[in-house]
Amino acid sequence: MENNASSTSTKSPAPKGEIWVWFTSLGLVLGLAMVLFLFGLILMRGFSFFWPVPVVQLELKEDSESVFRGNTSFAGVIASTQERSLQEIAVEEEILLEEEEEVEADGILGQALQTISEYRVFVGSRDRYGQSFRYFRHNDILERSFPEDIIRAERRVEGDAFFFPQRIQFQDGSEVTREDAIFEDELDRVVKEARSRRSQINRIDRREIGPINLEIRQLTMDLRYLNRIERSEGELTEAQQAERERLTGRIAKLNEQFELLRDQADELRETNQSIRVFYEYADGTNGQIAIGDLFRFYYPNRLGFLQRVQVAGIQFWEFVSGYPREANMSGGIFPAIFGTFVMTLIMSIAVTPFGVITAIYLREYAVQGPLVRAVRIAINNLAGVPSIVFGVFGLGFFVYIMGGTIDSLFFSQAQELGTPTFGTGGILWAGLTLALLNLPVVIVATEESISAVPRGVREGSLACGASKWQTIQRLVIPASLPGILTGMILAMARGAGEVAPLMLVGVVALAPNLPVDGTFPFVHLERKFMHLGFHIYDVGFQSPDSEAAIPTVFATTLILIALIVVLNLSAILLRNHIRKKHKGSAF
Amino acid sequence: MSHTSPEKNEAKPLPSRFQVGKSTLYFDNFMNYAIKIGGIGVIAAICGIFIFLTYQIMPLFRGATVEFEQSLDLGDLKISAMGIDPWSQLPLFVSPDGTLNFYDIVDRDKDYNRGLFQMDPGLPEGMEYPFTRYSNHEDSAIFGTADGRFAVVQVEFESTHPDYRGREVIPKITTTPLFRIGLENGEFEEIDYVDAGRSKLAVAIQRDEEGQRRIFAVTFSQNQPLIGDPVTVRDREFELSDLFEGEAQFLRLTGDSDFVIVGTDIGELHLLARERGGFTNRQTIQPFAGRESDTIRSMNFLSGRLSLILTNEAGEMMMYSIFHSEEDDHRILGRTKEFQPALPTGQGAAYFSHTPRNKAFLVGGPNYAQIRYATTEAIRWDGDLNFTVEHALLGRRYDRLLFVDTENHLQIFTVTDPHPETGWKAYFGKIHYEGRTEPEFMWQSDGDDDFEPKLSMVPLIWGTLKGTVFAMLIAVPIALLAAFYTSQFLKPEIRRLIKPVMEIMESVPTVVLGFLAALWLAPLISARIPSVFLIILSLPMAVIAFGAILANLPIQFRKFIKPGYEFLYFAPFMMLTAYFAWQMGPLFEALFFRVENPETGEVVGSFAVWWTETTDYPVRLRNAFVVGIFMGFAIIPTIFTIAEDSMTNVPQSFRSGALALGASRWQTAISVILPTAAAGIFSAIMIGFGRAVGETMILLMATGNTPIMTANPFDGMRTLAANIAVELPEAAQGGTLYRSLFLGALLLFAFTFFINTVAEVMRQKLRDRYKAVE
Repeated sequence: MENNASSTSTKSPAPKGEIWVWFTSLGLVLGLAMVLFLFGLILMRGFSFFWPVPVVQLELKEDSESVFRGNTSFAGVIASTQERSLQEIAVEEEILLEEEEEVEADGILGQALQTISEYRVFVGSRDRYGQSFRYFRHNDILERSFPEDIIRAERRVEGDAFFFPQRIQFQDGSEVTREDAIFEDELDRVVKEARSRRSQINRIDRREIGPINLEIRQLTMDLRYLNRIERSEGELTEAQQAERERLTGRIAKLNEQFELLRDQADELRETNQSIRVFYEYADGTNGQIAIGDLFRFYYPNRLGFLQRVQVAGIQFWEFVSGYPREANMSGGIFPAIFGTFVMTLIMSIAVTPFGVITAIYLREYAVQGPLVRAVRIAINNLAGVPSIVFGVFGLGFFVYIMGGTIDSLFFSQAQELGTPTFGTGGILWAGLTLALLNLPVVIVATEESISAVPRGVREGSLACGASKWQTIQRLVIPASLPGILTGMILAMARGAGEVAPLMLVGVVALAPNLPVDGTFPFVHLERKFMHLGFHIYDVGFQSPDSEAAIPTVFATTLILIALIVVLNLSAILLRNHIRKKHKGSAF
Repeated sequence: MSHTSPEKNEAKPLPSRFQVGKSTLYFDNFMNYAIKIGGIGVIAAICGIFIFLTYQIMPLFRGATVEFEQSLDLGDLKISAMGIDPWSQLPLFVSPDGTLNFYDIVDRDKDYNRGLFQMDPGLPEGMEYPFTRYSNHEDSAIFGTADGRFAVVQVEFESTHPDYRGREVIPKITTTPLFRIGLENGEFEEIDYVDAGRSKLAVAIQRDEEGQRRIFAVTFSQNQPLIGDPVTVRDREFELSDLFEGEAQFLRLTGDSDFVIVGTDIGELHLLARERGGFTNRQTIQPFAGRESDTIRSMNFLSGRLSLILTNEAGEMMMYSIFHSEEDDHRILGRTKEFQPALPTGQGAAYFSHTPRNKAFLVGGPNYAQIRYATTEAIRWDGDLNFTVEHALLGRRYDRLLFVDTENHLQIFTVTDPHPETGWKAYFGKIHYEGRTEPEFMWQSDGDDDFEPKLSMVPLIWGTLKGTVFAMLIAVPIALLAAFYTSQFLKPEIRRLIKPVMEIMESVPTVVLGFLAALWLAPLISARIPSVFLIILSLPMAVIAFGAILANLPIQFRKFIKPGYEFLYFAPFMMLTAYFAWQMGPLFEALFFRVENPETGEVVGSFAVWWTETTDYPVRLRNAFVVGIFMGFAIIPTIFTIAEDSMTNVPQSFRSGALALGASRWQTAISVILPTAAAGIFSAIMIGFGRAVGETMILLMATGNTPIMTANPFDGMRTLAANIAVELPEAAQGGTLYRSLFLGALLLFAFTFFINTVAEVMRQKLRDRYKAVE
């Protein structure tokens, strides 16, 4: 009905509908903006967690809004600057704006347009200020400076602190003060020594006391079981009595060892507590900290660029290799990374053979017909079933039914005493649950790559007298290997990022032991584990000071995202590579 | 080749070196079976998920089973009331001679079984107690004498485990002195007594010499002597007979001793409130007005002393509960349930017994009994009895039924009903819960002892759909526009870059999105909702305006914008628009969302206050709007990828044809490509919908998880998936909550599976169509 074929001259406006073409590009721009913004935000906020920034000292006007408990001087890191309209502040604080002298609030519109800037400053020292972040209004600040001598200290508890060290007091009461030339070197030295003592303590706690504790726990359980038999049966057989004596003896011996080690550790701890550093806050008040509680420190206002990179590198390394402290609020995330890794590995080991066999069956063996078509649709749809449903299934079937059965067959003692071994969430069940979740991903990817193997290859092989299996084994599988690998990588990426089902089948906020360690049998499939995704949930939502935890969560997020992007990119590259290859070799 | 080979084979046998190796054949055979078994096994296992979930929820929809356990002869024991211990193994019988008799009914064959034994509560001897009553909820017996006095006997049951042989229950008895109530020689018809700590109340119905029924109330107070236990002292007496018309016939006291509920012989129910210095008649109701019979036949409390079960002469049954009325702002008695069908005996309940464990109760006639569940109004079990019932009792643990028949035999049945509070109505029906003002859909799975579980799936389904709808509102326009542009107008080289970006976006863990939604976006936009509105409004308008200007520019300017690269020119412009809109938000707010502070008269622009004043809904930090935006992140890539695929895969000949006929690229896209790929686009939306329905982490973190049913976009909700994540870790294996959560999971499974199947079938059809064209 529209006939505009004649109107295509050079002077005419754009072709019909060109406006709408531009309009549709809105979608793409928005979509891309969202993606880039998301990744940009995570990258920036994640990296800024590690990057050492200069510490500013703020002198505030007396009696201004920002003064806290009489302190007019604060040192900290400016986390963000925000412009807030007076209107927002008015609604929030219900104050009358006329009272603010520097603001000429011109009615309601004036309030909306008039903004004041506020600095959100990380002042640290939760023990002193209650919160790690404080807000300072731009107008309340008299003066700012960047003192050379201030240090940023990472402490065992209560987060970071900013202060000026004054003197070190040694065990024998002797002191080194900041006037001494050797003061800074001494501070370096004692903190380093304390660190080595701490790692000794850790080694004793984890490597030496840990296994002893584990054995004691096991033996005590056996003992309790024997006692229970005695109570219900009346008396024990001779063999049982001998066993009980052996157990009691062994426990006593272990306890002796345990106490010896504990004394060693305690001695080291005491040394770490007896050397103290005295310091001054920005406002001049004094404080002190035991050297054992001072993990690391640096002079943020003295660093050059390269030194900053170095500090960032150290912080990054300590974050990914350290153990968490203070209910996951500080310290590292190594157990979470390790747990994610082991769980994903278990999942891959479980999902690959089953997925590949099913795909081979569907492509090479099953008679192609409506039934197989229906099965294929069903498998495809399974990928769209909510992951939490798999979690529910995992809990009901793997944990309670399979785990319960294993417990009653092999660990009946522990089960009767109410401490299930496999009958509770664990890394094996989590791996299997995610394997089931990712089965469709692997099946679909494998099937796709098997079907891309040209028919002629199979026919040629069969014509040469190879058996069906030989054809599959020597030709089909090798040809579709990249596809299988793609499916596996995609499954791993999905598995590493999935949290909801894991919450039901064995992930915990803080696991006492790693799922793989030096005690027999080395791989502990029944153990609960930590996971990067759940770590984000836990720290962001269950921690006492969630505002202070946000930077940590961003850093964790960065690492999780990096892991998943790397996995996905490799899958995509691999897939593109295959597609190219197939294009070339198509018959 | 086949027509020559048989001859050759016959002519010369195949030399052995050409034969396939035995091991190869063997292995081939083995692998054939292994793969078949493996493949079919995996497919079966996938079906197994569905079967397993179904199997787990089956018990929720089953009724109770009742089996005969044993029959015991009680000899010539005179029984006027009966009760049982909290573990349902030591029934007790109240005798009119003032004694309590216990019967040890478990381990009858063991030598430690105590059989039938008597305990004397220490009431004055040689007296008859023509009125007796036993309250199984409070473990107390009331004995009324012929001379207008009564005593309360409190039984305490202690459970011990002597030498690992099972539980032994030992009763202990404390008795109050005889208190006077009402007339000195009136015959007691009913006595009820409530001990609510400091305030105690006894009410009795008596017949005077003329045969008139009169009702009296006595209050008690507790005195603490210097040494020893507190002493209960009789305080004041009131006669309540004149507060209402007719004669009192039934009588119950509420647990807090604030109300006396009286049923009269003329079929009326009166709520008498205890006030300072006396009682007033708060409310008069005719429960069975207009029914087959308006005469009340029985009136009993359920556990908690808040809900009355009434029956009339025709066997019709109703429940009245005390709840807080919003209109009158005080507590009233109102009908909450009507039980259908009526008792098949055609007459009122001959007996009634409830269990403190839940809201189940036993009613029936002489030769018929049924167990009903008050919350769901369902009949859990019913059956005819081959004896005539004199007394009946439902076990405290809801595990036994006990009857005493006319031949003085104790007939014991076991009840197996692990999930009495469930059923279709409990999950999907509107229910008037105890203490609530109206029938509602509610989810609340735990509470204190007298708590009634509220298991409706409806608020959760509502929450799920609410979250999904908001997510779709944001995701569908963006994803479809992006897919349309990418597939139709974008340079293929750029497309090859953009698709992986979207795929990576799809794999971003939702826990990350949830964290950003809850801890980053929610606080950011909570004060800037008008800014977001402004962005949503201004972006499309600005783009259309910009597009219109560009389209009307002469070609010498337009030629700089190469087709396929439009979005690059647009991006900065749109960013600017968005930034400007964000900054103008407060102004927008000040202009359009004005509210006046009633105290100071000051006018402030505040969206949150304005919204609450206009719609009566609150604005909360964690709300559906924020969730919608971040759920959008999660499902945009899904919808984009599938929709883009289906549009790209439209056979090239379609496009070429349209373009050759002179259509512009927009005309081609909108009138040729779009209709052809419509099925694919639809399936993309369906799959996105399915993904949004099952999304857990974002909703768990950013909705606040309150199971409320409002459409308010600035309020939270609780979804099926988040509900499972919140409650399943705490639920006991095999319990009602556990299975109810499995039901939620099955709903999710079935729903997403259905949606995905529809989408998948449509995609398959589309693919076939494309193939046919090519």
